[in-house]
Amino acid sequence: MTVQTERPPSGPAGVRKTGDGGPGRPKPRAASRAGALAPYLLLLPACVVTVLLLGWPLLKDVLLSFQNLNMAQLIQHVTEWNGIDNYKEVLTGEDFWRVTLRSILFTAVNVVLTMVLGALTGLLLARLGKRMRFTLMIGLVLAWAMPVVAATTVYQWLFAQRFGVVNWVLDRLGWHSMADYSWTSSQMSTFFVVTLLIVWMSVPFVAINLYAATTIIPGELYEAASLDGAGGWRSFTAVTLPFLRPFLYATTFLEIIWIFKAFVQVFTFNGGGPDRLTEILPVYAYVEGVGNQHYGMGAAIAVLTILIMLGLTAYYLRIVLKQEEDEL
Amino acid sequence: MKRSLFGRLWPNVTAVVLFIVCVFPVYWMFSTAFKPTGDIISETPVWFPTDVTFEHFRTATDADHFWTYVRNSLTVTCLAVLFSLIIALAGSFALARMRFKGRRGFVIGFMLAQMAPWEVMVIAIYMIVRDGSMLNSLVPLTAFYMMMILPFTILTLRGFVAAVPKELEESAMVDGCTRAQAFRRVILPLLAPGLMSTSMFGFITAWNEFPLVLVLSKEAGGAQTLPLWLSSFQTQFGNDWGATMAASSLFAVPILILFVFLQRKAVSGLTAGAVKG
Amino acid sequence: MKRKLIAAIGVAGMLFSVAACGGDDGDGKSTGADGYEGQTLTVWVMDGSSPDEWQKDLAAEFETKTKAKVKFEVQQWNGIQQKLTTSLSEENPPDVFEVGNTQTPAYAKTGGLADLTELKSSIGADWTESLNESSVFEGKQYAAPWYFANRVVLYNKKVWADAGLKDTPKTRDEFHDALKTIGDKTDAEPIYLPGQNWYHFVGLVIGEGGELVKKDGDKHVSNLDDPKVAAAMETYKKFQALSKAPKDKDEATPQQGEVFAKGNVGAFIGMGWEAGIAIEANPKIEKDIGYFTIPGDTAGQPEGVFLGGSNLAVAAGSKKQDLAQEFLKLALSDKFEGGLAKANGVIPNKESLQSNLKGNAPAEAAAPAAAVGGTTPLIPEWAAVENAPNPIKTYMTAVLNGKSPAEAAAQVEGEFNKRLAQEQ
Repeated sequence: MTVQTERPPSGPAGVRKTGDGGPGRPKPRAASRAGALAPYLLLLPACVVTVLLLGWPLLKDVLLSFQNLNMAQLIQHVTEWNGIDNYKEVLTGEDFWRVTLRSILFTAVNVVLTMVLGALTGLLLARLGKRMRFTLMIGLVLAWAMPVVAATTVYQWLFAQRFGVVNWVLDRLGWHSMADYSWTSSQMSTFFVVTLLIVWMSVPFVAINLYAATTIIPGELYEAASLDGAGGWRSFTAVTLPFLRPFLYATTFLEIIWIFKAFVQVFTFNGGGPDRLTEILPVYAYVEGVGNQHYGMGAAIAVLTILIMLGLTAYYLRIVLKQEEDEL
Repeated sequence: MKRSLFGRLWPNVTAVVLFIVCVFPVYWMFSTAFKPTGDIISETPVWFPTDVTFEHFRTATDADHFWTYVRNSLTVTCLAVLFSLIIALAGSFALARMRFKGRRGFVIGFMLAQMAPWEVMVIAIYMIVRDGSMLNSLVPLTAFYMMMILPFTILTLRGFVAAVPKELEESAMVDGCTRAQAFRRVILPLLAPGLMSTSMFGFITAWNEFPLVLVLSKEAGGAQTLPLWLSSFQTQFGNDWGATMAASSLFAVPILILFVFLQRKAVSGLTAGAVKG
Repeated sequence: MKRKLIAAIGVAGMLFSVAACGGDDGDGKSTGADGYEGQTLTVWVMDGSSPDEWQKDLAAEFETKTKAKVKFEVQQWNGIQQKLTTSLSEENPPDVFEVGNTQTPAYAKTGGLADLTELKSSIGADWTESLNESSVFEGKQYAAPWYFANRVVLYNKKVWADAGLKDTPKTRDEFHDALKTIGDKTDAEPIYLPGQNWYHFVGLVIGEGGELVKKDGDKHVSNLDDPKVAAAMETYKKFQALSKAPKDKDEATPQQGEVFAKGNVGAFIGMGWEAGIAIEANPKIEKDIGYFTIPGDTAGQPEGVFLGGSNLAVAAGSKKQDLAQEFLKLALSDKFEGGLAKANGVIPNKESLQSNLKGNAPAEAAAPAAAVGGTTPLIPEWAAVENAPNPIKTYMTAVLNGKSPAEAAAQVEGEFNKRLAQEQ
């Protein structure tokens, strides 16, 4: 699998620029008009299903966020508009802001850890011998491929209070107080395990992609750099890093949205507990909306969650916007 | 340029450590699944199972409707991936190869679509499906799973399409192929690794999806999928780690196989394509 | 293979035609014995609440009586409210379902339950008044009382014998001492008491004469800072300290009966029928299981208990109202209501059936406490409190992890009050 970089690394831009003006035969006018429609026709199915299957639920969600929708209204199919009451209640309460802050910190910590460890592992892959690289690759792929639901269950077992292997190892290493430690008992320990799980699952994606990217850096660039007298570090910053930058941006963007939405890991591991202290925004929306059967409120939180996510990724989206402009 | 012994050693040592960190949870899942209960709940962990048992797998597969869940999961996942690949292929071709007004808007649009937090829209989707009398059916599941993976598929495939040298397509057209023929005979074969690697993401997303199927399919033995089975299993057999791990293993195996099998092709395909380009 | 496929198509066809006929039920109005032929009634029962045998007999008799089939679907308590609420809003809700007594008022208020006032006057004249209380909302009957039960101590006779204990304890202190003896003299865990067995905690609060909520004007608010609640929590903590069970889990995750089945647990506090869970997990444990009333402060005065129970309700959206009522009439008839009491040792919905409990060890252990039992407040707002994360559970875990009851009460008060005030 690869990352969607904005500038496909292969095929130098020059080659593609020759595109339509190429050596092809001159086309009759009618055909070119049909040709002008072609891209829209090709995109039509994708757009139709997106509007239908994503646009509609989104719109519905926005509508629900302006309703007083609880058990009774849901059961009796009653629509009770209540204006911006849900938003007022959410935004004036402390909980929402606390959860938002927590979500952002949680995402930041996990994304930074994942990116740093992933990039280092990717560079390590490039440095390894063939056999070792293959071995590590298999390991990474196994961790990457573990379905979230199964992985979370496995981590619960690894960190189980009784008979969990982690507690046993810690006990053996001298932390005897950890022998019977409940990892779900506090906010920090819960986050610790969840972070470990997420980083474990996410590093392979970053590492493998980055490794794949390093393999296509033209060797001449390094030669040129070393002719200029650049050392190891210098050629890394002058050649490797600039080449990898689009990959890093794109991967970071994906990791931010994936980690920000890490609902299953957090919810399955400890249900947002203890005492709601590990709820991140999607979990908070779920607990308030579905769990607490306060569906309108849940919808309002969902809308706010989407807005916050847009804010978090705005920087990258701006880059993309500019790049696409340059290309046209 | 010869590296020092240390310089050669540390990458390998780090790689071994990383390998263990990556593999251990997976290994522990399988080994627990095969261990007799006595070895699972023992004060000192049994690192390598000596007497292997299939008892836990029997407990896991004995659950009501197990095979229905397997069938449903396979159906929904495969169809969702297939449909999204077809739809995405058309779209990505347009985005990668053609110049037209609004192209940028489409790209940004799909990027935004990729960010959709599906977990929090569960109730909205539930109400739509309920009011359309489509509950307990595989159809809405397939449709929404397809949508979940579509943006990623389009954007990723776009990279792969762009990586196929345009000259190939053009020379095919010079040889008398129509654009569609050129696409089918020249581009599609070159895209195969790209399609495979893209479909992996789709597989794992659809295979894993849990919050939506939880509300859309409540009828036991109806349109329920394996994640529901795994989670209900966990509530029922919460302290039976052997059975829970056996269930997790069964759930993970198809994806693990698919990944190990496809990943090599995909990565080599990507690099090969890139070098050629 | 082929035959199977044909059969499958046949079944599919049948389902389709049943679905197609669904709309006609209302007009048909043929309520005679044959009128229900080919119909299937969906009944949701909670995990463990009624034995398979009982369900089978009931379904068989129902079929001979009405020609209609019953499909029992077993539900888990975990997440049941979310599942029930959405299901009640659907086209095909479960026709009849079991609903916990503490959750009944909330559902009655939603309009999702059919009015059973007529049924009450035809079969429910002798239903025990106090047990019927949760089913009545604003003067109307929205459910039928089904069974009730309170917790007892289930103990492992073998473990107790190994520890040299001959008699079952009569007071709370004796109980504690006995458990300590088990801890000292055997390898067994004296008691399995997870930190969030909140029904037991509610019982202790009732025993102290306390209340979980109080009135503040016309609103209900948290009363967890009451010293009586704190005293109940201290008792809980004292016993929980003897257990290795997790402090942040309830008695159903994992099922305490299954933990007990392993044979190295001295006792646990649960429903009589939880013995069945243990026996199913390990049939050999059956002969070792004993029961006694949870001992209170002084001998002869049992500990306060939460009088849990379930009602049977009919979905307002069910298209088989008449058939559903037929089902209730049969399920609640002396034969089956009494049969359930006998099989599960639960309190039946009328006095005259109490005799079924004679000779039933768990029921006899439960009986003395039932008189001093109570429930959570029977207000519609209560159901929201039980949604995860239940603030009472949070309170318990906080105290068990070292907070003072007052601190813990202050910690969860906001959440508790928010739920009690939640707009309906």
